[in-house]
Amino acid sequence: MEAGGAGRRRQQVSQMEMFSYLIAAGLTTGALYALVALGLVVVFKATQVVNFAHGEMFMFGGFFAYSFHAMLGVPYVLSLFMAVACAFAIGIVTDRIAFRPLMRSQTLVSVLLAMVGLSFIFKGIARSAWGSSGHHIAFPPLISPEPIMFLGLMVMSQELVVMGAAVVVMVAFALFFKLTRAGKFMQATANNPKAATLVGIRVDRVYMYTFGVGAAVAGAAAVLMAPITLLSPDIGFVLFVKGFAAAVLGGLTSIPGAIAGGIVLGLLEKMAAGYIHTGLEEVSAFVVIMFAMVFLPTGLFGLRGVRRV
Amino acid sequence: MRRLLSPRNLIFALFVTLAVVPFLANKYYVFIANLVLLYMILAVGLNLLIGYAGQLAFANAAMFGIGAYGAGLLQAHFGVPYWLALPSGALIAMVSGTVMALPALRLSGIYLALVTLAFAQFTLWVMSHWDTVTFGAGGFSPPRIDFGPLPLTQPNGMYLLSWLAAAGLIWFAWNAMGSRIGRAFVAMRDGEIAAQALGIDLLRYKALAFALSGFYAGTAGALYGGVLGFVGPEGFDLLQMVLHKAAVVMGGLGSIMGSIIGAVILVVLLEVIREFKATMEIAFGGLLLAFVLFQPRGIVDLLRRKLGWDERLHYKAGPDQTAPSEPTPAATRKPAE
Repeated sequence: MEAGGAGRRRQQVSQMEMFSYLIAAGLTTGALYALVALGLVVVFKATQVVNFAHGEMFMFGGFFAYSFHAMLGVPYVLSLFMAVACAFAIGIVTDRIAFRPLMRSQTLVSVLLAMVGLSFIFKGIARSAWGSSGHHIAFPPLISPEPIMFLGLMVMSQELVVMGAAVVVMVAFALFFKLTRAGKFMQATANNPKAATLVGIRVDRVYMYTFGVGAAVAGAAAVLMAPITLLSPDIGFVLFVKGFAAAVLGGLTSIPGAIAGGIVLGLLEKMAAGYIHTGLEEVSAFVVIMFAMVFLPTGLFGLRGVRRV
Repeated sequence: MRRLLSPRNLIFALFVTLAVVPFLANKYYVFIANLVLLYMILAVGLNLLIGYAGQLAFANAAMFGIGAYGAGLLQAHFGVPYWLALPSGALIAMVSGTVMALPALRLSGIYLALVTLAFAQFTLWVMSHWDTVTFGAGGFSPPRIDFGPLPLTQPNGMYLLSWLAAAGLIWFAWNAMGSRIGRAFVAMRDGEIAAQALGIDLLRYKALAFALSGFYAGTAGALYGGVLGFVGPEGFDLLQMVLHKAAVVMGGLGSIMGSIIGAVILVVLLEVIREFKATMEIAFGGLLLAFVLFQPRGIVDLLRRKLGWDERLHYKAGPDQTAPSEPTPAATRKPAE
């Protein structure tokens, strides 16, 4: 009797622990997906094109940070900024190679095919530069991996850092759009490119910076994520799909929607992995995309009656 | 001379050459020629969907895999003979393709591309994780194919089958694209609303395009499993998808002849650089990008001008019809040349 009660209590405690662990892990990965989704949404809003090479920006950000931090010994925070700058540059390269030459004269099919081609070139470059051995690269941990108690939940301190930093990036991103001239140019161009041209905004240049900013956010996400997971040249596509799933859940044109979509996807994945089957973590993003595109084409919070297909 | 070098005669000559390969060349070259035949089927099937019908789908590699797995698993689990497993695999892929057409009826452009991409990755995941049925990530070997009363052995028998399938499917595609089906596809590609106004049933023709392309990829897959004697998930990944896209774009979107040329070039290049994955990614990603940027109508366009081919239904790099009605970059596009 006694033993049974204690056993049940212990079981309850471990149930609670597992739940809190899943929530914390879900929020962390969700915050990262949200960051990836942000970049996709910003580019899509401005250009009506989904950047197929977005995942490769993420992957490059992670590898650059690894090179600076683990190979050259640059401090973590500084290597974060350097990696973000590199990702920004790669975003601009993408615009100049695969978007700008094609957006006027070609069809959407051409733009997408060019981006797919470019993303494979990026992947191949990363594979020959960093991933030749075929192994995943482990990024050195930032702080001790000991779990701590936070608001009654057991969380990894690393996860708290990542979540905090993700929130900082999101707030910085929102402020950039609200307060700076460049951010307002981007909003204006996304809203109505013809009118933006008429009032003297150089739309081509705004597209270029939009690609750059989207890539920079992806790069920041990669540097934050790198200490938790492993880096590999194929990680870009995985994160692209997850970010896209998050963006679709949020309606594909809404920035708050992308953030909410990312968190929902992160929690969904961890819960499915924890309570149903671990394999579902990998596959839930695909299912979410297929389901959301067909049944929720305007996202969880989208406007009704807007036809965008 | 020009009459002699017409696309029809060239295809005929190519198939005659391919028919005598097993009598002259060693096993390695027979294998390469066999791959050429399979990639021709794949490229033509994908071109029907992208180049003619204008549906940008990313699931061709998955259909290829579904055909291979469908045929291979029927043989391995149920002992179905290959002559029955081959068409069954193709039919399973065709049904999957048609099922995928359901979202295509509601989606276009980028949305369609990403749904099909998600579908392809989901398929790949099932292939490598559903261990009890698909034998997991390690793949499996279907049983040896018995050619029964015919005096044929494995490599040459599969080669002959592939040759027959490629010849038949290309002949069918050539004629279908010159018929009302092809005209309906092109009309749909160039403007869905206009096509509808002309009395073209979009639902029917989109489903037909996906079904045909699924059938072609599935046939190629079922043959591929037999040729290789092995089926595993890693052959049907994203890189495979890019290979198909590269073949179609290199040859020329909306041209059967182009896809044949693209497939030949692709297989030759593949044999040269098969060693390193990174090199393959850079090479085929680069080719895809370079052709889209500098020669969007493909090699067949160059040949067309050189040899004065009169090919109907050629792919037009023109205004995008799937663009939304709001002012977008598409609104400032210049008209087609």
